[in-house]
Formats: sequence, structure tokens, C-alpha cells
Amino acid sequence: MTDALYVQALYLACGAFLLTGVLVLWRRELSAIVRLFTLQGVALTALVVVLGLWQGELELVLVGAGVGALRAGLLPYLMRRALVAGGAGRETQPLVNVATSLLVAAVLAMLAYAVSQPLIRLSPTPATQAVPVALTVLLIGFFVLVTRKRALSHVVGFLLMDNAITAAAFLTTSGVPLVVELGISLDVLLAVLVLQVLTTRMRAAFGGTDLDELRELHD
Amino acid sequence: MVTGTVGAVLQVLLIAVGSPLLVGVMRQVRARLEGRAGAGIAQPWRDLRKLLRKQAISPHGTGWVFRLAPLLLAGTALVAAAVVPLVTTASPLDGVADLFAVTALLALGSVALALGALDTGTAFGGMGASREMTVLALVEPTILVSVFALSIRVGSTSLGSIVTATARDPLSVISPVSALAAVALAIVTIAETGRIPVDNPSTHLELTMIHEAMVLEYAGPDLALIEWASAMRLSVLLGLLASLFFPLGIAGADAGVLGLAAAVIAIVVKVALLGVLLAAGEVFMAKLRLFRVPELLAGSFLLALLAVAASFFLA
Amino acid sequence: MESLLVLAPVAVPAAAACLYAVLGWNRVTAWLGTLSAAGLLACAVALSAASSTASSAGSFTGSFTAGPGEAFGGLLFADALSAFMLIVIGVVALLAMAASPAYLAAELAAGHTDPHAMRRYGVLTQAFIAAMALAVLASGLGLLWVAIEATTIVTAFLVGHRRTRAATEAAWKYVVICSVGIALALLGIVMVHYAGTHAGVTSLDWAPLAEGASRLDPGVMRVAVMLLVLGFGTKAGLAPMHAWLPDAHSQAPAPVSALMSGVLLSVAFYAILRVKVIADVALGAGFARTLLIVVALASLTVAALLLLGQRDYKRLLAYSSIEHMGLLALGAAIGTSLALVAVLLHILGHGLGKSVLFLSAGRLHQTYGSSLIGAVRGLAGRAPLLAGTFALGLLALLGMPPFSLFASELGLARAGFAAGLGWPVAAALVLMLVIVAAVTRHTRRMLLGDGPGIRPGDGPDAGPMPPDGAGGAPADGPGAAAGGAVTLPRSLAVPLVAGLAACAVLGLTLGPLHSLLRAAAMIAGATP
Repeated sequence: MTDALYVQALYLACGAFLLTGVLVLWRRELSAIVRLFTLQGVALTALVVVLGLWQGELELVLVGAGVGALRAGLLPYLMRRALVAGGAGRETQPLVNVATSLLVAAVLAMLAYAVSQPLIRLSPTPATQAVPVALTVLLIGFFVLVTRKRALSHVVGFLLMDNAITAAAFLTTSGVPLVVELGISLDVLLAVLVLQVLTTRMRAAFGGTDLDELRELHD
Repeated sequence: MVTGTVGAVLQVLLIAVGSPLLVGVMRQVRARLEGRAGAGIAQPWRDLRKLLRKQAISPHGTGWVFRLAPLLLAGTALVAAAVVPLVTTASPLDGVADLFAVTALLALGSVALALGALDTGTAFGGMGASREMTVLALVEPTILVSVFALSIRVGSTSLGSIVTATARDPLSVISPVSALAAVALAIVTIAETGRIPVDNPSTHLELTMIHEAMVLEYAGPDLALIEWASAMRLSVLLGLLASLFFPLGIAGADAGVLGLAAAVIAIVVKVALLGVLLAAGEVFMAKLRLFRVPELLAGSFLLALLAVAASFFLA
Repeated sequence: MESLLVLAPVAVPAAAACLYAVLGWNRVTAWLGTLSAAGLLACAVALSAASSTASSAGSFTGSFTAGPGEAFGGLLFADALSAFMLIVIGVVALLAMAASPAYLAAELAAGHTDPHAMRRYGVLTQAFIAAMALAVLASGLGLLWVAIEATTIVTAFLVGHRRTRAATEAAWKYVVICSVGIALALLGIVMVHYAGTHAGVTSLDWAPLAEGASRLDPGVMRVAVMLLVLGFGTKAGLAPMHAWLPDAHSQAPAPVSALMSGVLLSVAFYAILRVKVIADVALGAGFARTLLIVVALASLTVAALLLLGQRDYKRLLAYSSIEHMGLLALGAAIGTSLALVAVLLHILGHGLGKSVLFLSAGRLHQTYGSSLIGAVRGLAGRAPLLAGTFALGLLALLGMPPFSLFASELGLARAGFAAGLGWPVAAALVLMLVIVAAVTRHTRRMLLGDGPGIRPGDGPDAGPMPPDGAGGAPADGPGAAAGGAVTLPRSLAVPLVAGLAACAVLGLTLGPLHSLLRAAAMIAGATP
């Protein structure tokens, strides 16, 4: 793999990662959002594998395969199942309209760029220069979480953030130590499972997973 | 220099003559896909000829703005056709008319038309003008920002140098910057030229129409001028899209006669292909509800902005 | 021997969780949890004895020389600070577990739970305690993160234990907000690792990080520390990410609320303390201090404002937890030896007082069927013992002598003024005055007022108790309480009184804890 090809492949994966993140804000149908999330998982996998091939580390490539299996396979599968079980009301109802949230995303991208300056300054390699992409997706995920009402879009927001953090980890340091990586993946999986059980319960209690119904507790 | 001048003249001629044919091709493709026979690709030219023969009339109470608008629209479209690198990257006007000038030219035409529509004082004209302005407010910055993103790599805002650089290294298109900018530009091209899913050029439904509402009061040669200019704008924008992201075959500063001929054929094929794709896409797509249009355009603006951001931090 | 001691605090509750999974919850196994908590406490005491002798023998360098016992391939370790946190976990777990049998028996009698749910309760509470022990014994940032995230997952089902609408909602908010917060902390860890690899520190363990902290890139560390404080601060219930806390604490079963408020928050705060040690070396003391002061004052303000108009006594206690977390943050910001000793003492005192209060509040909720302040009236006349523990617990939390929180708050204020942080401390004192006024106004009528109070069900939000629960309830169901006496089972009374007594004794003398506290404060980066 030549230098130029590596940089191009890496940035292409980053671009796809970013694009899928932005499109999540754009689309309203939950099924489309889940599809986009799957694509993002694929982009993340590609990113890790490219990094692994470049550094010639088989371990990293294998980790990439694991990341792909979890984020492009298992998690979307779980979400699709929750979606099918959810029945009616497949559209998200954003608190902020889509046009505004897209413009907010533009501002978030600037913010991510500003925040990541010190990170790039420490070691300006091609990989760290893509860190703003990961941070943008992180902020978009947070934004989705705050402004969307459907329970499933909360899960998507959380998982977007998680994808972004994984991407940041691989871009900066080629991943955290393996034990930690394992623990993190396990925790994410468990968190999603917990959320899925809770959605089932919410459906039993509220007859839907629209968080607008969550008004029992407030001050 | 000579090839540049010849190329520029060729470009203008090509756009002036070819763009109604492009519209004809697109209508024909739609007709065939929808199972109709279609009117043939020369039908737009026949329509224009018919309109030109009619007497020029203007509604009561309209002033010079109304009469000037079609001329301005057509004039700006022709100048844009001369500047944008379609056949040659060495247009003699390229030095004075860079990316900002082209965007301003296109905006000038749109604003003139909107003013003309307002001048009629009818409800439709005002409605169309206000919708057009809403779209324009998001389209123009998107074009600016996305072409700006492409210009960062080259270090110049001249469209000619951007296309030259891409022609020299075609693989550089496969980067997040180009991909994001391409999607953004494609969306605004559709919006700017009033195609589905933003606007439907073949209906006159007052709930949704944008472009057609503005030109409702025009008749005869004025209408012919507007239709012709709209077709030219479509061709110029599609041509720009093709040149920016797939500049294969475009003539450089030192191309000979053969090079120019090849460039003409290349651009015709590319634009026709894009037109066919667009028409085919329209058949399978529904028009967006009007209030969703700003979402689409805001999205394309965001993509363009991300392209700029990416060109800074992924450089 | 040492390594076994380090492993045991995690292994004992984990084993108890397995036993619960096999045996279920019955009259005998109900006390298994108490036994395991006692075992945990014993290990903690042994560890702290070991570490304080080691530290008194060693020199006070403030680094990690204070007798770290390692175990499990270096994944676990214990120094004075973790030993002290283990003691807090052990003590609060002992109180909560000792109160659990009576609590669950009453729930079962009222038809709110079934054997299946009780078995799950047993498994999850023990797993929860094990995860917290793992967090404080973790030798590095990575394992600490995993353990804290594990507590979120385990407690999600405990919060939603009642399966009512409100409980499910609280669990949902809890999982979503805490997972997000903890995800931010994870990004912070990634940044620390990034800064570390460029400074030649490839491990995320505390010792190498503290050693190489001065070489870490300040730009990256600034981002990292902000993310870590925000992330772990979420779990510690610090503003601005505190929104889950009142919901979760008011909906969880009382012993779980006691555990969450008493120790889970402090364990998350322990993570902040550890991070601060590294941040202070890498960035100078000013950065983390400013960050913590802002967070502390924001938390105190939020708590004061929301306590003023509070109508629910469980939420009142929850907001009081936010207040105390704010005080801890303020103490950590001051950072002198006196301040950190006061912080650690405050953690212990708050754990004791808050668990007593939540357990009493749970009993109140069971008898009145509502957690509205307006529903409880004239408790002192009807149930003197319960009213007494509730009142004394509140006094302890408000920082009245002789309870240990008085001593620690006094220490905090003195340390703050001595360190030249007069303004923030003064602001905090004013906010605390507001809180004292608000809490006494709300609870005075609960304890002393007369009249039957609002009948459960009359209030605008009548509490999460479903109507069918009241029908099958025997003597101490919701209906019985309105006029008759309120009973307090002996097995509940003992932990309540014991907790209060411990809190009072600590206020008078630290005894053998003194040297441990000093050693732990040293490890937490105390500046003289």
C-alpha cells in the first residue's frame, strides 16, 4: 500500500463515516436511520482495516473485523428487531426541525474542528488529522439524543457517539489496550440489550416508545 | 490563446444550440419510461420557433423590469456559458470571471426573473418569486461553498485551474472533499434548474410550482427567451458538474483542432448522459412537499460546508 | 495473602450473586447479602490496616508508594484511598443489605414483587456491589471505566424493579444519560492514552500515568480532563448532567437508592479524584480547580433551586445528594490536605446519613403509599422511632453537630478560606443556608404537623403505586397507615440506629481512621 493510496482510502472511509452520520439527521424514517447506522458501521470497519493494513498489524485487522461484526452486524440487527416489534410510528419527531438541525450540525462541525486542534498539533499524521470527523459525529450523536423523541432514536444517538469514540480511538492511537477494548465492546452491547429490554417494557407500559409519554417524572 | 478563444466560442454555440435539444432528450426519456411515444427531441426548438413568431405582449401595469428580465436571464446564461470550462479550460474570460463571478451571474439571472415576476403584481408571480428567493438563499451559498472546497486543493478560485488540476490527476476526485462537494452540487443543480424533487417543470399546480409561477405572465418571444435561458442554465450547470468531477477529454490551453473536436464530443456525451440520468431519476421520484425543500437544501449546504471543513483538516 | 485480600472484595459479592442466582431469595438466603457485605467490610478493614502501616512506614511522596497490594495480573490494586473507599462501600452495603429482607418482605406482602423479581434483586444488588468494589480496586483508568459502566447496566434493572410507568421511565433516563456521560469519559480516556503514547506511557494504569504525567501534552490533556470530569461527573450526579439522579433515586427500591446515593455517586467521584491527581501534575493545579469549582457551584445552585419547591420527599433526598456531591467537588477543588481529609470524611458521613434516610423514606413510602411530602403528617406522634431516625438523618445531612458531616463541612470551609478560595466557599455556604431552610420547611410538617395529611391518591401525581396494590395489602399496606400506628420492623430499626450512631461517633472522633484518611488524602494529591 503506497502512502497516497493509504491516505486516500483512510479519508474516503472517514468521509463515508461522516456522511452517514450527517444523513441520520436528515432522514426521518427510523428504518432508513437504522440502514444508515449499518453503513456507518461498515465505514468504521473499513477505517480500522485500512489502518491495520497500513501498519501491517494482523491484530488490528482482526479487531477491525470484530468491530464490523458488532457495529455493522449485531447492533443493527438488534435495532431492526426492535423496530419491527415497535409497529406503528416509524418516523422520528424531532424537537428541532430538520433544516435547522442540519444547520446546527454545520456549527457542530466547526466546533469539533476547533476542539480537535490541540489533538492534531501533538502529532500531525494523516490519521490524527481525521479526528475532527470523529468529533463531529460525536456531537451529532449527542444532538440526535437531545432533540429526538423516539426511544429508538435515542439508542441511535448513543450508538453514533459510541461509533465516533471508537473511530477517535483508532485514529489517535490505533485503539486502546485490548482488555479495555473488550470491556468496552461488551459494555456497549449490554447497554443496548438493557435499552432493548426497557423499550419492551415501555411498550408494555405506555403502548409505544415515544418519549413524549415520559412525563411522569419532572420537577 | 487561440484555442482558448475558439473553444469559448464553441462552448457558447454548443450551449445556445444544444440546450433545447438536451431538454428535448430529457422529455423524450421521460416519455419513453412512462410508456408514451414522446414528441421527439427537437420539440423544444419547435416550441421556441412558434413562440418567437408570436406578437410580444406584456400585461397591464408592468414596467421595464418585466421586459428586461428575460433579456438579463438569457444574457447571464450566455456569459456563464462562455466562462465555465466546458470545452476548454483556457477561456479568455476565465481570468476575469472566476467561481464567484459565475455564481453571481447565475444569481443575477434568477433575481431578475423574480423581480419581473413581482412586477406583474399578481398573486402567482409574488408567490413564485418568494419561493424562488427561499431556494436561492440556500442554493447560492451552497454552490459557492462547495466549489470553494474544491478550490482549496488547487489554491485558486478560477474554475479553469480547478478543472485543469483535476484533469491532471483524475484519481484525486476519490476523496471525501470531492464526494461531499459533488453530492451538494448535484442537489443544488436540481434545485436551481427547477427539477424534481424540488420543482416539477411540467405542472402548473399552484400549491407547489416555483419556476412556472414566475413565468406565468410571460408570452410570445419573452417566454421563448426565458425557456431558452432556463435550458441553457440547466446545460451549464450539468456541464460544470461534469467538468469538475469528470474532466476527461476537456481541451487544455495547448490543444489542437482535434483536441477541441474531441472535447466537444466529450462534453456533449457527458451532459447528455447526466440529463438522461436526471430524467430517469425524475420518473422514479416524487416531488418533495414544498416545506421539505429547505431541509433538502440545508442538507446540501451542510454537505458543502463539511466539504470545506474536510478540505482543511484532511489536507 | 495481600493479593487475596485485594481480590476478595470483588469475589465475595460476586460469589453471593451466583448463590442468589442458584438459590433464589428466601427467608434464609435473605441474609446472605448482609453476610457478603460484612465480608467485604472485613476485607476493607484488613486492607486499610495493611496500607496505613505501609504508608506510615514509607515516605509521604504523594505518589503511589503507599503499600499497593496488587492482584490478578496487575489489574487490581489497593492503596489507602481505595481501601478507604472500600470501607465506605462495605459500610453502606452492610446497612442496605441488612435492611433489604424487611423491605422486600413488605413489598411481597403488598403484592409489589414476586419470588422471581426477588431472586433478581438478590443477584443484581450483589453484582452492583461487586462492580463498585472493582471500580475502586481497578489499577487503571480502563478497568475503572468498565466497572463504572457495569454499575449502570446492573442498576438499570434495579431502578426499574417495580416495573411501573414511572420506574421504567426513570430506568430509561438513567441508562441513556449515564451511558452518554460515561461515553464522554471513554473519549477522555482515549485522549489520555493518546497523550500517554506520545509521552512514552503506554499503560492506562494509575502509577505509570502519575509518574509520566508531567510529560503529557497539556493541550490534549486539557480536552481529556474536561471530558473525564464531565463524564464521571454525570455518574456522580454533578450538574449539568444530573437529570437522571432524582428520577432514578426516587424510583429505585429503598436499599438500592441507599446504595446508589450513598456509594455509587462517591465511587464515580473517586474516579474524578484519581483523574485530578494526574491533571494537577500535567496541567498545574489551576485547570482542574476551576473546572471543579464551576461544577460544584452549579450543582449546589441546581440543588438549592429545586429543593425550594420540592413536593416529594424521595426526590428531596435525591437533590440533597446532588448538593453533597457539589460540596465534594468544591473540596476536591480546594485540594489541600485538610480539604481532602474533609472530603473523604464527608463521603463516609454522607454515605451513612443518606442510606439511613433512604431506608427510612422507603419505609415511609411503603406505609403511606405515596412519596409526596403532603401525604405524610405528624409522623413523630405515630411512629416515634421512624420519625426519630428520619429527623436525625436529616439533621446529619444538614451538617448539624455532632454528626460527622458537621466536622467535614467545617473542615471544608476552613480549608477553603485558608487556600484563598473565599468567594466560592462563601457562595457555597449561602446556597447551603438556602438548602437548610428549604429542607426544614418541607420536613417540619412531615414530622411534627398534625392532621391526616393528603390521602394517597388525592395528590396530582399520586405516586407510582398501582391501585390494585392497595387492595391486597394486609396490615401495613397503604390504607392502614392513614390513621393507625406505623410499624418499624426490628431488622430495619437496627441498621437505621446503627448507621446514625456511626455517623455521630465519627463526628466526635476519627479514631483509627485518622491515619488512613491522611494517607488516602496524600494519595488523592493533597497539597500541604
